[in-house]
Amino acid sequence: MRYSGFQKVIEERVEVSTPLNSWKRVTEGVHLMKNGISPYEGDLFHETPLGLFFYSWLLTLKQPLLDLFFILMDAATCLCLQSVAASYSAQAVAKEKENKKKYSEDSHGIILTEEQVQRVPLYVVFCFNFNPFSILSCVGKTTTVVNNFFVALTLLSMCKGWMFLCCAALALATYQTFYSMVFIVPSCMYIIQLKKIKKSWPVILIMVTTFGVFLGSLLYLSMVFTDSWTFLSSTYKFLILVPDLRPNVGLFWYFFTEMFEHFRALFVCAFQINCFLYLAPLALRLRKEPMLLAFSLAALITVFRSYPSVSDLGFYFGMLPIWLHLLPYMQQGFVVCCFILFSSGLGPVVWQLWIYMRSGNANFYFGVTLAFATAQIFLITDILFAYIKREFTLVNGTKRELKGKPAKLVLE
Amino acid sequence: MMAAKTTARAMGLSTFLKSLFSLYLFLTLFSKSSVECFNLDDQFEEELLIKPLNNDFVYAYFQFTTTWDVPFEAKSFQNCHLFPRVLGEVLGQYSVQELHLSLTQGLWRHEKYGYPVVDAPAGTEIWAWFKEGTKDVNKSWKMLTSALSGLFCASLNFVEPHNTLSPTLSFAPTGAVPPGVHSNSSLLRYSTLPREVVCTENLTPWKKLLPCDSKRGLATLLNAGHIYNTNYHSLGIHVRPICKDISCESTAVELKQTVSLVYDMLQVGSLSRDWSFRKLFGQGLSGPCPLASSSRVYVDTTQNGSIFEFQLRPEPKAVLKSIRGGATSKIAMYDLKTMHLVSLLNIAATYTGEKLEHVNISPVLYANRYIIGYGQENGGIVTKVINNHWQPLDIVYMENIPWFLPVYLHTFQAEVNGRQLVPHAINFVPGRERERPYQLEVALRIPARSTTTLSITFDYIFLKWQEYPPDANHGFYVGAAVITSSLPVARNYTGVPHDGSTLLTRSVLIHCLRQIFLNQDKSFENSIIRFCRND
Repeated sequence: MRYSGFQKVIEERVEVSTPLNSWKRVTEGVHLMKNGISPYEGDLFHETPLGLFFYSWLLTLKQPLLDLFFILMDAATCLCLQSVAASYSAQAVAKEKENKKKYSEDSHGIILTEEQVQRVPLYVVFCFNFNPFSILSCVGKTTTVVNNFFVALTLLSMCKGWMFLCCAALALATYQTFYSMVFIVPSCMYIIQLKKIKKSWPVILIMVTTFGVFLGSLLYLSMVFTDSWTFLSSTYKFLILVPDLRPNVGLFWYFFTEMFEHFRALFVCAFQINCFLYLAPLALRLRKEPMLLAFSLAALITVFRSYPSVSDLGFYFGMLPIWLHLLPYMQQGFVVCCFILFSSGLGPVVWQLWIYMRSGNANFYFGVTLAFATAQIFLITDILFAYIKREFTLVNGTKRELKGKPAKLVLE
Repeated sequence: MMAAKTTARAMGLSTFLKSLFSLYLFLTLFSKSSVECFNLDDQFEEELLIKPLNNDFVYAYFQFTTTWDVPFEAKSFQNCHLFPRVLGEVLGQYSVQELHLSLTQGLWRHEKYGYPVVDAPAGTEIWAWFKEGTKDVNKSWKMLTSALSGLFCASLNFVEPHNTLSPTLSFAPTGAVPPGVHSNSSLLRYSTLPREVVCTENLTPWKKLLPCDSKRGLATLLNAGHIYNTNYHSLGIHVRPICKDISCESTAVELKQTVSLVYDMLQVGSLSRDWSFRKLFGQGLSGPCPLASSSRVYVDTTQNGSIFEFQLRPEPKAVLKSIRGGATSKIAMYDLKTMHLVSLLNIAATYTGEKLEHVNISPVLYANRYIIGYGQENGGIVTKVINNHWQPLDIVYMENIPWFLPVYLHTFQAEVNGRQLVPHAINFVPGRERERPYQLEVALRIPARSTTTLSITFDYIFLKWQEYPPDANHGFYVGAAVITSSLPVARNYTGVPHDGSTLLTRSVLIHCLRQIFLNQDKSFENSIIRFCRND
């Protein structure tokens, strides 16, 4: 696909490239920099300064090498996710074996075994590599590929308990899009549980400080490179205030196109808070399962961030096989599958109708993106509920009886 | 007052009256001398040039020039004689060095018409140089455009930072620049409002700036009913400082008010190419403006006898030969000051020869521009610059792209016959949404006898619902691109032989304008608004 005529088309699709990650804009930014014009003066370039220097070096490479870079990035992300899956599954099996006594007698059959999780890493590799969303983002040369790699590295070092690397990778990811900073919570929780540390505060303090120092020095370095803080308004302010209303798979563009101007500030806050709002309740509920917390945060960020693309979706879809053992407890798999399939098919059709044939309008495309987001929300809630049901079954047994009558578990 | 009263009591009534009389005499003398002084200082000239173009078009160009020997300062405009005080006060107040304003309807087709005396793009174009040392140029610019908006009843108040440029290579000052002062583009502001229409409401205040208003002189020919029947019409105001003499040690002020009209005679007249004052302007001319030092009508007869043949009535008193840049033009002149008009003057041309289908001799340099791409996602602007000269030409191409069409500089290409041209210089100021337009200036040398294709791509921005103009399906306009070049030959050049100014410029601006349709279906927005209101 890289060498077919479709590459250009894919690169310019709104689903794949957003103002934040589009390779065309990176090229423009590098071109402006080489002509002695600050890319942050204009309105097209929204990458970070260190990213700018890196990409300007990357653009000096020949075309095959450039393509190779994106493929390598994707492969590295995939390897990270694979070993995340492997080590997490091993740890989960060990944990359940350890807790076997606490569980109900008749639920011993559903406890994870090594044979069950043996093939999970392989599934992760398949799911990530043969997922059309991640293929599209790699072909479309989106810079989210780089961000995904850093998040995957964070997760890997979290699983392995490499505190320092975890903070560094997380700082790099946050530097690119600040939404990633929420991963600091599951990382802390996971490392504490992994190392079975009794006193958690010093670890949290160390990790947050390391992360802060890394992020601070990255920002300071950027300031030194560009000689001013103007890049902040082009990157983070742009991310927060959503001035670019180009449609994407997210929910922001339509609301902010149609909104009365004086409500704008309120709704910016209301929309942006969604990414961080669920952190506290989920962290409390999933305190025993930080990996699931990290996964659901990744999915929630994809739904609620200001400029999402299918590349973010491809990333957390790659992690889905880790939750294979929750599959029997999930109820809406079929609905979610249909939703995602239909909306990703209908999206380009409706876009064509609206933008090229002028027979549709923005409502149709928004309807599709709304369905897309709804499907993702369904998926997250389904997985979370499945996890709770499984926990319940482990403790209380497979029989569902309430006062002698058969009962059903309902999410309320 | 008290002192005067005591003196009156002491000296008696007769002496008081005497002193009053002498005071009156003194005042009268003083005021008379001041009037004479003004008369020496300023003069007003009115000119009308009629040039029959190819393809049955007639170009009529009015030029009213007021020159005044005063320094270009705020206090000079406190007492005005011929110079319009309203305009002078505005210029002085906002420390304007030079001002050019044009209100135009229609498109000047360089390929067909040749070059006009003053170029103007469709809509409103305004550019001004401010004086060195102006404190806040942006504020002065805003105040100036607002004041002019009131003065000419035009929507110049829509000139905002998001449609204002400061070109560095184009729009050099046309008037005298004080010695030692380099043109610093931070003092230049340029803006266009391509959607602005021009109408009678602009013409009336424009005419009021003339010393004779539209009561006497050539301005009586400007009847709204007739001049808005034209294919192209443009009102202009040009103020600049000019040199008093060759040494240019001191400067004077020049105000040039212009009207350019292009008539399609087949539409205006009774299917004949013959033209006359009565046909063009609806009435004859009663005489010159009494305040004018010269009042002349010129008819360009260069092509008379070669491409077409016409007979002028009444016969011109003199035929002038004007040589510019190797091209000779013959111009018939009527001096209204020396003519004894018994009835209304009606200069008429009757075509005698057969109507010939002829080859159009296109000008040395012209351009056209269009939008490529389909759909509302992304597109490109392509400008074709055609050089008909046998030598390469150096041009400066300036593109003024509104913020809602973000252009990608890395996609800019200049191509001649499949070969890439390397520009000498590129000056690009990236735009910002709702704040600043994209400004692109390219200096390049285009080869002889060639068509150069300049192209750049852009994305369509998705606007908020309030940002659509009332008739969204009409689309959005993009201002003209400007090509500046110094032409080696004056083929197809049009100029008044004596244009009342010392500076002769050969740089030609080619403006072209195409509109872009960005219409998005608004039905959904309407439905939502209705929904909100029902709520």
